[in-house]
Amino acid sequence: MADVTVIGRGANVVGRVSGAVDLEIHGRIEGDVAVEGDVTVEAQGLVAANISGRRVVIRGAVKGDVSGEDAVRLEEGARVVGDIQAPRVAITRGALVRGHVQTSGSESSERRARETQKAARPAPATARPTATAPAPRKTTTTAVGASQSHVADGMAKVAPKGPPPPVVPVLKKGAKGALKKKAG
Amino acid sequence: MASTVIGAGITIEGEITTDEDVVIHGTVRGKLQAKEGVTVESGATVEADIAGGALRVAGTITGNITSSDRVDLQSGARVIGNVKAARITIADGAQFKGNVDMDT
Amino acid sequence: MAQARTTTATQSEARIGSGTRVHGRVSGEGDIIVEGHVEGEISVHGDLTIEQGASVTSDVDAHGVTISGSLEGDVNATGVVAIRAGARVRGDLRGAEVTLEEGAEFAGRLDSEFALPPELEGTPARR
Repeated sequence: MADVTVIGRGANVVGRVSGAVDLEIHGRIEGDVAVEGDVTVEAQGLVAANISGRRVVIRGAVKGDVSGEDAVRLEEGARVVGDIQAPRVAITRGALVRGHVQTSGSESSERRARETQKAARPAPATARPTATAPAPRKTTTTAVGASQSHVADGMAKVAPKGPPPPVVPVLKKGAKGALKKKAG
Repeated sequence: MASTVIGAGITIEGEITTDEDVVIHGTVRGKLQAKEGVTVESGATVEADIAGGALRVAGTITGNITSSDRVDLQSGARVIGNVKAARITIADGAQFKGNVDMDT
Repeated sequence: MAQARTTTATQSEARIGSGTRVHGRVSGEGDIIVEGHVEGEISVHGDLTIEQGASVTSDVDAHGVTISGSLEGDVNATGVVAIRAGARVRGDLRGAEVTLEEGAEFAGRLDSEFALPPELEGTPARR
């Protein structure tokens, strides 16, 4: 899968994030996360949304259902209120969960998997990173600082299928390093 | 072959079926069916019918005993029930109340 | 010591061997290691270990619970519930801590006591 989309620590996204990307969440998302790549909710991440991806790793707080095409892993620091479903699920020491957990492959899992997948899988759209439209670099989200930076037009509230997304360049993989330096 | 051990603080109420040795230190209530030997240790309480191989008893049994081999009641054993076995020994100090059937 | 074999079980432990089936209630002090099959109820103050190849169909009340085999039933543990890869568990688990190794099969609820960060508490559950 391609580039990593990073939602920086000061970022606040209200809406849906979807696309053929890997996603790394250090900030806050309220809405829906459904990507084709891997999703990592880092320790400071706060997600009030259902999450679906290929490999999902949670180290932060999630209020929503989590499903992985390949695997879901809850690591130390994870706090999840919601249902979890994937062929492989791991919950390590220090991870806290409240919800139904299902590894696909058990008898009724196929049935439930179909139900959860219907709910969690939207049609893939182009990447919609959280940055304000004119700013090509992810760093601007953290520079805006604290919690009140809402995303630019088209993603006002929780829109199930909004207007066509603005064409915003996706962060290249290398830029992640730069982001981390600034966000420090 | 492994064996099954019921520790001193443990109580099992129900049916136990096994093809291995059983050693009981705790309490068994119900029914015990073993293919191999059964040992009821001192301090153990068995309120159950026991069917097994050789039986060695140092504890308390209230129930009928059927053994395909020998039954040895040791000093300190207390057995209330009928015993059906090919051979039986009752040591000095053992208490026994019941019928013994050694018809093979 | 005619039939007694050397076992690793201590005096306060119970080991239900691989060739043993228990149908009923297992209770008391001490730890329980199940290598065979238990159907009914398990309620002990010690730890329960369900070895690989073992199967337990029963609600479980114990301190710590380690599952490498198969369990069907709800678990209420005051200690840690550890589900190893290769285990097959169906039931609701409540424990001081629950760990699930990748590769285990699990279907049921996990209910740990904790609070989400306040920033998330107010948001509607996205179901």
